[in-house]
Amino acid sequence: MEKVVEVNFGPQHPSTHGVLRIKVKLDGEIIVDAQPVIGYLHRNAEKLSEMGLYPKALIYMDRLDYVAALNMELGYILSVEKLMDVETPERAQWIRMMMVELNRIASHLVWLGTHGLDMGMLTPFFYCWRERERVLRIFDEITGSRLLYNYFSIGGVYSDLTPKGIDMIKEFVNTFPDRLEEIQSIFQKSYIYAKRTKGVGKLTLDDAIAYGVTGPLLRASGLKWDLRKNQPYLFYEKVNFDVPVYTNGDVYSRFLVRVEEMRQSTKIVKQVLEKLPDGDFYNKKYAKPMLVRMKGSGESYVPTESPKGEFGVYVIGDGSTIPYRVRIRSPSFANLQAVSIMLKGYKIADLTATVSSVDPVFGEVDR
Amino acid sequence: MTDSILLTTLDEALRWGKGKSLWPFTFGLACCAIEMMSAMGPDYDWARFGADVFRDSPRHADLMIVSGTVTKKMAPRIRRLYDQMAFPKYVISMGACASAGGPYVRGYSVVDGVDKVVPVDIYVYGCPPRPEALIQALKQLQDSIASGKVRH
Amino acid sequence: MIPIESESKTKDGTPVVYISKENLIPFMKEKKDEGYDMLLMVTGVDYVDHLEVVYHLLSTKDGRRLLVKTKTDEEVDSVTGIWPGANWHERETYDLVGIRFRNHPNLKRILLPEGWVGHPLRKNYPMDKKQYVNLGEDGEDKVSYDPKEGY
Repeated sequence: MEKVVEVNFGPQHPSTHGVLRIKVKLDGEIIVDAQPVIGYLHRNAEKLSEMGLYPKALIYMDRLDYVAALNMELGYILSVEKLMDVETPERAQWIRMMMVELNRIASHLVWLGTHGLDMGMLTPFFYCWRERERVLRIFDEITGSRLLYNYFSIGGVYSDLTPKGIDMIKEFVNTFPDRLEEIQSIFQKSYIYAKRTKGVGKLTLDDAIAYGVTGPLLRASGLKWDLRKNQPYLFYEKVNFDVPVYTNGDVYSRFLVRVEEMRQSTKIVKQVLEKLPDGDFYNKKYAKPMLVRMKGSGESYVPTESPKGEFGVYVIGDGSTIPYRVRIRSPSFANLQAVSIMLKGYKIADLTATVSSVDPVFGEVDR
Repeated sequence: MTDSILLTTLDEALRWGKGKSLWPFTFGLACCAIEMMSAMGPDYDWARFGADVFRDSPRHADLMIVSGTVTKKMAPRIRRLYDQMAFPKYVISMGACASAGGPYVRGYSVVDGVDKVVPVDIYVYGCPPRPEALIQALKQLQDSIASGKVRH
Repeated sequence: MIPIESESKTKDGTPVVYISKENLIPFMKEKKDEGYDMLLMVTGVDYVDHLEVVYHLLSTKDGRRLLVKTKTDEEVDSVTGIWPGANWHERETYDLVGIRFRNHPNLKRILLPEGWVGHPLRKNYPMDKKQYVNLGEDGEDKVSYDPKEGY
């Protein structure tokens, strides 16, 4: 007789990366069905954005994906600028691009460290955090904050790069690739890590597209789809970088994709430092006190490539200073939906590996 | 007899021991959890202060760090986790959200302050607080336990 | 060919198509065959006198994007049969905006606890009327208006 046991995983569990709950149905050790339950961090970002002025909604965007706050700000700011027909000076756009890439590195380092913890390796956590603290110190110097920045503004950025900040970035990009090599080798030389991740949590390309999965997960499943290449925004068409693609669609390929992305981001930051033009860092027409009086009308959605996948904010303006509707397209929300397919038929021990390979951040899933 | 030298010193020694051997509970809610992890990390290294044994089960832990926004859906679960912890137990409310609702206080599904759910010993301000602030809160809690100001 | 009610463009240049809600499913099937293989998101917008559902479509082959809009009065057909990824997005739209999707496999609240009254992203949602949540005996959420009953 077949006997199915229901196991509840979360919302408090060391490897849920926050407050995820999964209802798992088990037949022996095999997962028959896994249904994620979300909403434990639903903080009303969309409603609160509709209650305040356009620049005020930015603080809620910061707190969506709190490990990559600048990427979240970028999606909102680009949409709002389209909505208000605001021009941004070139220097501001280059600065934005560089900061976003640095934040992508920081985000992937958080993932790599916690992924190591989930797989039972403590060492990479400390190595990753050592590197991440260096990025955060750069942000601290330039934006004045460590984690949530509120740095991009409509028509530019809030403060220019400081000479000390530029030196710190230069020092970081020169030493980071070697150290990344070191971190990667800890994972790749581990027999146990390879055993636990190769061929685990597979997601076919058809399933990935049907479920709206984007970002590193889609690239690990074999589609070369990166919005920075395919639909460039900012100045991504003016820099050289590669998009890593693997076809296995398992946890190990996602690891390889993310590590390679960090390397490419370092390359982009290096090129931005060379090409950074002089000029204004914000549009002089829209001085800071002006921003609260700016009106938007129409609708716009600018897709950007966040570390988790396609991120964009669909903003509808009704001609007043307050947005009429703000809808956040959060990549983790769509990616997490595919977890039930990735888990079906695998063993319960593969659950932590698969869930952590999705890299869900719950500020963004639940909004 | 309670005034005798032996008993007071034993009591003091016990309190000192309690303060210096806190076992925190791995319990991340939102953004502040990342800064909590930074405090654990190599740069800030709060193992120096005798509270580095992060436990994954509430039954092993005696310090709960509420790091992030408490939503109405999560609040009963936090209460349940708190009830599962063994005495003595202490709570640090980390960040503006956990202390008073933070930027989300006007929302419909956010509890304005975790002190409505569990008793809080130390509040840390900041959105998010820097790791130094969390370490200061830990030191403060240890001192208050050792001096007998906080009892649970 | 399925008749289109009107056409326009968003500020960033994405084409927008209005479709009547009776024609929604055949139109979406046609679009899927035309190469729009990914559904990015489903959104509900409350325009006070009517509700609108917005579908963001993307073709991963050539990068075309399309916004499909349909006017509705709380009920519309589900597209989960065409893109299984619509499942959670439609549940969220039901949860927050209050649009019911016909033939949806599991139309329950997703972000808010089951039993919550009202849909918060409606413009007439009473923000001052607080609701409180607690755990029931069976481990499921209980919602009430009484502050003593929950948190």
